[in-house]
Amino acid sequence: MKSLIRCTGVSLLALLASVPALADLKVATSLTDLASVARFVGGKHVTAQSLCPGYSDPHFVPAKPSLMKAIQSADVFVSTGLELDGGWLPLVLPGSRNPRIQPGAKGFVDASDGVDVLEKPTGTVSRAAGDIHPLGNPHYYADPKNLEVVARHLADVFSRLDPTNAADYAANAKAFEARMEASLTKWQSQMAPYKGVSIVTYHPNFVYFADRFGLKLFGTVEPKPGIPPSPHYVNDLAESMKKSGVKVVVYQPYYNADAAKQVAKRAGGTAVEVATEAGGVPGTDDVFSKFDTLVATVAGALSGKPEAQR
Amino acid sequence: MRLRMHACMLAALLCVPALAVAQSRSMFSNLANPSIGMNALFTGQAARNLNQPYSLGFDEAEISLISVVDPYWTLTSNIVFLPDGTVDPEEIWARSTNIPSIQLKLGKIRGSFGKHGLLHTHGFPFIQAPIIMANTIGNEGFKDAGIEAAWLTPLPWFSELTGGVYQGIAADDEHPLDFGSTAHDNTPYLGHFKNQFDLNDATTLELGQSFLQGRGSDGLMHSALGGDLTVRNVPLKDSNRRGWILQGEYIQKGSSAGGYTKEQRGGYASFQYRLSQLWWAGVRGEQARDSFTDFLVDGAGAPVAGKVTRGSVDVMWAPSEFSFMRLEYSHAKADDGNGLEPSDDRIMLQISYTIGYHPAHAY
Repeated sequence: MKSLIRCTGVSLLALLASVPALADLKVATSLTDLASVARFVGGKHVTAQSLCPGYSDPHFVPAKPSLMKAIQSADVFVSTGLELDGGWLPLVLPGSRNPRIQPGAKGFVDASDGVDVLEKPTGTVSRAAGDIHPLGNPHYYADPKNLEVVARHLADVFSRLDPTNAADYAANAKAFEARMEASLTKWQSQMAPYKGVSIVTYHPNFVYFADRFGLKLFGTVEPKPGIPPSPHYVNDLAESMKKSGVKVVVYQPYYNADAAKQVAKRAGGTAVEVATEAGGVPGTDDVFSKFDTLVATVAGALSGKPEAQR
Repeated sequence: MRLRMHACMLAALLCVPALAVAQSRSMFSNLANPSIGMNALFTGQAARNLNQPYSLGFDEAEISLISVVDPYWTLTSNIVFLPDGTVDPEEIWARSTNIPSIQLKLGKIRGSFGKHGLLHTHGFPFIQAPIIMANTIGNEGFKDAGIEAAWLTPLPWFSELTGGVYQGIAADDEHPLDFGSTAHDNTPYLGHFKNQFDLNDATTLELGQSFLQGRGSDGLMHSALGGDLTVRNVPLKDSNRRGWILQGEYIQKGSSAGGYTKEQRGGYASFQYRLSQLWWAGVRGEQARDSFTDFLVDGAGAPVAGKVTRGSVDVMWAPSEFSFMRLEYSHAKADDGNGLEPSDDRIMLQISYTIGYHPAHAY
């Protein structure tokens, strides 16, 4: 009997120890990268979850009612902004019936605030150009420097909502920035040999990465954003790649790998799967490991030895 | 003369910047204008039993306006322009944004009854609405002025309980339910219970139950009850290229004549499969009892009630988010129980275009 009581007591203690400490702020995000930054900045005071997994297309997240339920009690919602989540967030946010995170409330964050947005349309915006983003290219999280902007922004928001831990948030954001700067130096030296080299991407979501690391974007597997390629277009793109000596096609796990591989094969090059969002491929659990893998994969493909570099 | 002309031109040139400044300094900012979108829908039909030409016709144009009103409300309106020249303010409602766990909708709304009844015409998965819809709550669902409160319960899964009260309106082509009593106690009301479970990352199960009741112009209580089940699969890695939806719904209309009398009743089961980013295909089977449909008519052309069974297949091509074409074939047979047993075959083509604001995709 005594041993039974002891055993039960030990089990209860173990169970209590396994329950995570109650966080001060519950954060939900549109993207895994934003959740990852929120975890670094928030530290032990924050729990963060992304509604879109890293291997799913952030443009087309099914607006499941369970997502509304998932953010019913969130304190902060971090949207990617620039209308990247415009196809689903306008249903999920009001559906949560959580006034704290509605646009305009203190708990709603547009993570693109303060980011130097590229490809802002000038002149007439027309869908003849495909499913374009009228506020500019929203894939800014492919540039490590932009995540530093997001970290500073989140530290401000967390401090306003939870002033008791403001010093921790500021220190964490500073540490994040320092680590990102150190990592960036490493990634830039890995990419340095390929400055000015052209690549083809599936969708225009490599613009910020190319801008940061000096790559040239030759074209996209999609003829226009959101429009799938026709066999004729695949052929034309491959032919022009061949003529210009472009060898590498990169695509995210949520795009049509067959089309990307076909273009690369016809051009005599290689197609590589990369994650621009944390969690997109194995070993990319946070934003640092994401960039480690992304840089190594792209550099490997450009060196002509993709397997060796990964 | 030339000097005068030059002087005039110089004066005009000097005025240009002043005019530009004047135009940009308008008293009326347009920055808070609502998002505006329009959908245009065209349908062609070839049905040998119907006395209609085989041609493509204009179905409707729907203009949507949506905007934040203030920190407490957003307003949505869908105004429909019909081929006969009439304009129908189909939906104009405000939604609360500031009440924890509860969402209020008030105005002219589409009542939260069932699954198919919540869809706009251009969102129907098949060109023809299930026959039971027009025989129970309305071809495009139950639309009426009223107020609904939807409570997201604290249960660990998505569980929503909705209650609504509406204006009493008499039966017409759009409202098969007679809620036309002028008695002061005639407040049609609705209850809807919806539960959704994630079976895994890709697949969800949704169950819904609905009830709607009000007093008719005959003094009797008229009601509709329904149940729906939807299993939906959207692989997260291929969310824009693959997926399927299996859905079934049953609706029954009745009245309090002699206790409770069942009137029209029936349902449908459908399966839609996404073949690629551009292509969808679907199949649907349905039956409606004691129901009316366009090809079940007597010798004088008057509608007759009977059992109607219909099967439909369709294929849809959507080259972008903003347009689609759908081809549908259906075969139906009917039986009025008195020897009238017509059958019907029809081929339909539907084309949809959307410009401007494109609302988020409902799940």
